[in-house]
Amino acid sequence: MISATLLGQSVLSGFFAGCLYALLGLGLTLTWRYLKVINLAHFAFVLIAAYLTFQLVGKNGLNPLLVAVILIPVFFLAGVAQQALIEHYKVNEFASIILTFGFAMIAEAGLQWIWSADYQKLEAHYMRGSLQVAGLFLPISDIVMSLVAISLCVMVWAAMRYTWLGKALRASLDNPGIAAAFGVPNRKLSYLVAGASGASTAIGGIFVALLSTLAPSQIFSWLGVVFAAALLGGLGSPIGILAAGILLGVSEHVTMAITAPSWAPVVPFTLLMVILLLWPERI
Amino acid sequence: MSDREISKSGVTRRGALAGGIATAAAASLPAAIPALAQGTGPIRIGSTLALTGPLAQTGILHKIVGDIFIDQANKSGGLLGRKVEWVLLDDQSKPDVTRTLYERLLTVDKVDLLIGPYATGSILSAMGVAQRYNKILVHHTFGIPSLAKYDMHIPAWPIGFNPEKTVTNRVMDMLGNKVKTVAVVTSKFPSVHFLTVGARPVFKERGIQEVLFLEFEFGAKDFGPIAARVKDANPDLLFMGAIGLEGNQLLEALEKLNWTPRNHFYTYPTPGPLALSPMGKDALSFTAYEDLPPLNKAPGAAEFGKLFTDAAKAANNPYPFVETQTAASYSAWQILFHAAKETNSLDDRKMADFLKKNGAPTIIGKVRFDGPNNYGEDMMRIKQVQNQKWVIVYPDEFKTPGSQLIIK
Amino acid sequence: MGAQTARLRRDWSPYAIAIAFIGFALLPAFKPPAFVESFLYLLFFWIALATSWAIFSGFTGYVSFGHGAFYGAGVYTLANVASHYSFWWGLIAAGLVSATLGVAIAAIVFRTRLRGELFALLTLALAIVLATIILNTPVDGGPGLYLIGVSLPNFYGSPASTLYLLIMCVGMMSLATAWFVQQSKLGRGLFAISDDEDVAEILGVPTYAYKLIACGISSALAGIAGGIHAVFVNYVTVSGTFNLEVPLFVLLMSVLGGARSWIGPAIGAVFITLLNNLFVSGDYALLIRIGIGLTLVLTTLYMPEGIVGLFHTSWRRKALPLTGSQTPSGHADAPLAASIAPARQYQPTGETLVRLEDISLAFKGVRALDGVNMEVRKGEILGLVGPNGSGKSTLINVMSGFYKPDGGRIFLSGENITALSGHLVARNGIARTFQIPRPFGRMSVLDNVIVAAMFGSEQLPERAARERAMHYLGFVGLDTRAHALPSDLNLHQRKFLELARALASGAKLVMLDEVLAGLTPSEITSAIAMVRRIHSADTTIVFVEHNMRAVMELTHRLVVINQGKVIAEGDPRKVMQDAAVVAAYLGTSDAED
Repeated sequence: MISATLLGQSVLSGFFAGCLYALLGLGLTLTWRYLKVINLAHFAFVLIAAYLTFQLVGKNGLNPLLVAVILIPVFFLAGVAQQALIEHYKVNEFASIILTFGFAMIAEAGLQWIWSADYQKLEAHYMRGSLQVAGLFLPISDIVMSLVAISLCVMVWAAMRYTWLGKALRASLDNPGIAAAFGVPNRKLSYLVAGASGASTAIGGIFVALLSTLAPSQIFSWLGVVFAAALLGGLGSPIGILAAGILLGVSEHVTMAITAPSWAPVVPFTLLMVILLLWPERI
Repeated sequence: MSDREISKSGVTRRGALAGGIATAAAASLPAAIPALAQGTGPIRIGSTLALTGPLAQTGILHKIVGDIFIDQANKSGGLLGRKVEWVLLDDQSKPDVTRTLYERLLTVDKVDLLIGPYATGSILSAMGVAQRYNKILVHHTFGIPSLAKYDMHIPAWPIGFNPEKTVTNRVMDMLGNKVKTVAVVTSKFPSVHFLTVGARPVFKERGIQEVLFLEFEFGAKDFGPIAARVKDANPDLLFMGAIGLEGNQLLEALEKLNWTPRNHFYTYPTPGPLALSPMGKDALSFTAYEDLPPLNKAPGAAEFGKLFTDAAKAANNPYPFVETQTAASYSAWQILFHAAKETNSLDDRKMADFLKKNGAPTIIGKVRFDGPNNYGEDMMRIKQVQNQKWVIVYPDEFKTPGSQLIIK
Repeated sequence: MGAQTARLRRDWSPYAIAIAFIGFALLPAFKPPAFVESFLYLLFFWIALATSWAIFSGFTGYVSFGHGAFYGAGVYTLANVASHYSFWWGLIAAGLVSATLGVAIAAIVFRTRLRGELFALLTLALAIVLATIILNTPVDGGPGLYLIGVSLPNFYGSPASTLYLLIMCVGMMSLATAWFVQQSKLGRGLFAISDDEDVAEILGVPTYAYKLIACGISSALAGIAGGIHAVFVNYVTVSGTFNLEVPLFVLLMSVLGGARSWIGPAIGAVFITLLNNLFVSGDYALLIRIGIGLTLVLTTLYMPEGIVGLFHTSWRRKALPLTGSQTPSGHADAPLAASIAPARQYQPTGETLVRLEDISLAFKGVRALDGVNMEVRKGEILGLVGPNGSGKSTLINVMSGFYKPDGGRIFLSGENITALSGHLVARNGIARTFQIPRPFGRMSVLDNVIVAAMFGSEQLPERAARERAMHYLGFVGLDTRAHALPSDLNLHQRKFLELARALASGAKLVMLDEVLAGLTPSEITSAIAMVRRIHSADTTIVFVEHNMRAVMELTHRLVVINQGKVIAEGDPRKVMQDAAVVAAYLGTSDAED
């Protein structure tokens, strides 16, 4: 009854959605694990970057690549600045939720002030169209986004696996005092993680602008699924969040293809509950 | 929001802090403040709107319209010889807050009249308060007529009592017999869902084959699989229960599959983005009013259209033209003022009875409230995206000059 | 934390709750403007939700993102039941359904040892799944439910007053429950779980049952609040019920106010509800949102421990004796001479206290314990030695019920205790210390010991537990530090705190896991004296130690294990000359210290 192309197409779109979840959650999972900051402002950063992209690409006609070059360092610094504040005031893990929620609230009002509360959509000529492979359509924009997401996750993973970075981070997490004694620059390290997380929101925001619709109240619309991917993949794990994101995305989209789309969230989240209950130690 | 706009009007400008303190003070001294209200001071009209939160995009439009109307009214002598003041509070898109704030408007701010908030849940909340205090409630755009059971509620948006039948029939009358198959895809947003689910029996009665029926969760972000199923079903008409940008999202997902719907209808699309999107070509929707001839020849319509466009541009609104929401909003004010003037009173019962008996002239046309649940006739017209603009294509007497209905 | 501070002074809280309740209950008689009732309604609604959240999540530390699910279950239960039966049945059903859901989820979830963040994830998933089910089944189906024809009870002749009174009762009930739980044994258990769940279990806290009870109370209150709110909003929709607002706001309110205190979440709820509902001027909507955001930011920066934390810190500073002694006081400095002769006052009775039969345990294929047979005789000090990684600590963990063996049986006084969970083992009279001290970090030294006394083998009531705890704090020389936090103690003192906890539990058998490690020579001497004094109080001791001087001095019998097997046992001096033992120790220099 369900055709092979429909199924294949759904698996594909689920895969792309999963990559987007990973892209949006990569920085979140790193700061959560290594800096003990549950950063709700992460989603606000993404949306701010998306609106800036909407403005610069859609209104001012800049090339998205140029926008990336501008936004990445800016958001890197924003991430560092937020972390500096958190460290200066010694905000703990739970208090960080309130702090960053406050930032998100300010951001939402600010976005509404500047770009109005109405929905906006970037109508750009970049990355339109689809490749056709074996009867399946592969949208160019989704391919680019997925490649970026995957390479970012792999790069972060590799950096943590093969350089001193991973070891230093873990040491810093376990015992900052001892880590410092061995020459680990705890503070610089935390700024690096926070900055990288900020930079990732810039990239995420650019793709959100290119792929999705914008409204200031959408700040938390990815929160549930991105939290789920981050936790399911194992906090702090770049490959984990990618795998978990794709698992969630594909199961959701296949459900949408087979049954009423409004049932879609049931499958991935039931799956998630089963995994948690049967193999809690795997995560 | 643009402060330039507000400062021109007579809208109350109580500061945030002052407002809070005044409320606290008024709460503790209930009898102290309101004596003024009955005398010769300004007539105070109270309402809340979703100025922040998920419904703010539309709430803001209603604010712009209200500011314009109050400003116009005060320039032309106010109401019953008194100045008019709008006490507007932000309900943050939350029905429970709406309820509390309407009670505040009546018992603390002691407003003389009420006007409705935005969105189904909040309007029902406000209606409950109005009912307990026997106040007339004129409201702007309420989507589920059967839920509005209060006898002094006045719906400014003329969609009739059974829009799910009347609107659907009008669309199908217009499309004629070229359309043999339909795919119904709907968001589970209550007012949208009500309309599309109610449309299904109409298709059946008319012998149109339903090749696909899909419901998706309001707020869904991924339309890939839905698009794939629509493409598979290949209907003559895509009938989509969409609110906000859901229509755009589905169309983009369809574009990625290299498929364009032949005929496509959307319930409550955000007008700008759908018109501007290349995929939005020929899209259909329904409307009570667009700032187009012949509709904007109605008395006051052109002036309002111009004022609104200026104000909306100043507020960075992406679609600065009067359409169904904003027209309904303006007519709600017109209806309220018409009733007060005609009865020469602020008596809620008198005003409501007058309106139910006589209806009221608005920029949309003459609106009636004599049917079930105070709903009159369905005055909806069908609009279509042509050359990246919305034009009215049906019925013929409202057709925008130079436009021609496109059916494929 | 509020528990002990409040108890030391006169606790006015129940009177305050009662007076506030009466005051708020009489309020409608004064005919305030409806807005006041309606506003207070929202205030108590959020107090009920935030406080009920904290009863489970705040007290145990298991953050739940699922409070919206319990609340939403209440909303939809009432909406469906009340229109067919009556409001009261609807409300009862709302509470029951939510409580059942909460207990069922907790019962399933806590079967496994789930880490905190995974619990958070699970509750998040639960809320999403529940919302989707309600959206797609006749419970709602999509169009929302309009509560028409639900007749409310009538208080003060107005529906607004009635709703206000109902939610006020729930809010006050939540506060009273939170206060009661915090003061009760349940609360002590929950705080212990929050600080170190494993240790709580080993000290006798029935962690599984307590988590279920707390989750049940929490979700029942949320469900009842949800049921009333369904009538308040009158028109319920899935997107309006199961959005982020409830789970996020209860978290914000609790953390802002102070999640470990019964009053903290209510303070947070009042704070945020005031901000959200008094400042609503339509002209400054955006500025107000920015202002509220800034307020949250600044509050966090300047009050990292929550608003309640502010009071606590200042109180604690005043209350603490600034001149706390750095070392335990004189009691422990028993005459050095006494430590020279081995403890020979013990007359072997030969009676077996604990017998291990063929105990085996493997971790991922590695056999940590391999057919261990041994016994602990009543009244002795049994030395348990072996090279690093030989299985000593694993054995202690098995004997205390922390690990379940793969095979074999454990008998305590002839009774098979193999299958008992840790807290039951503790109640049967087995206590232990940890090599690296694991005190409950956010409880005072005294409270640490009180937990052991209340949940140990004698299950003492609070007053007796307090006396017992003070006694043993005096015994180990920590009585002057009773109100300090464990983090204010040095390692030596923390080890003695472990001892005090083990002793206060009234255990027949105390297992000491490397109490001497990391101590200075003079501290070791006083510690040895301490062990001897414990023993002279008729306690059987298993003494795990690397320090052979202490082992030889103290123990009556020695068991040596290596690679999970017992390789020798008997008289300490003979055992240490055993060839197998010498072989096992060759190359491991730490055997000498």
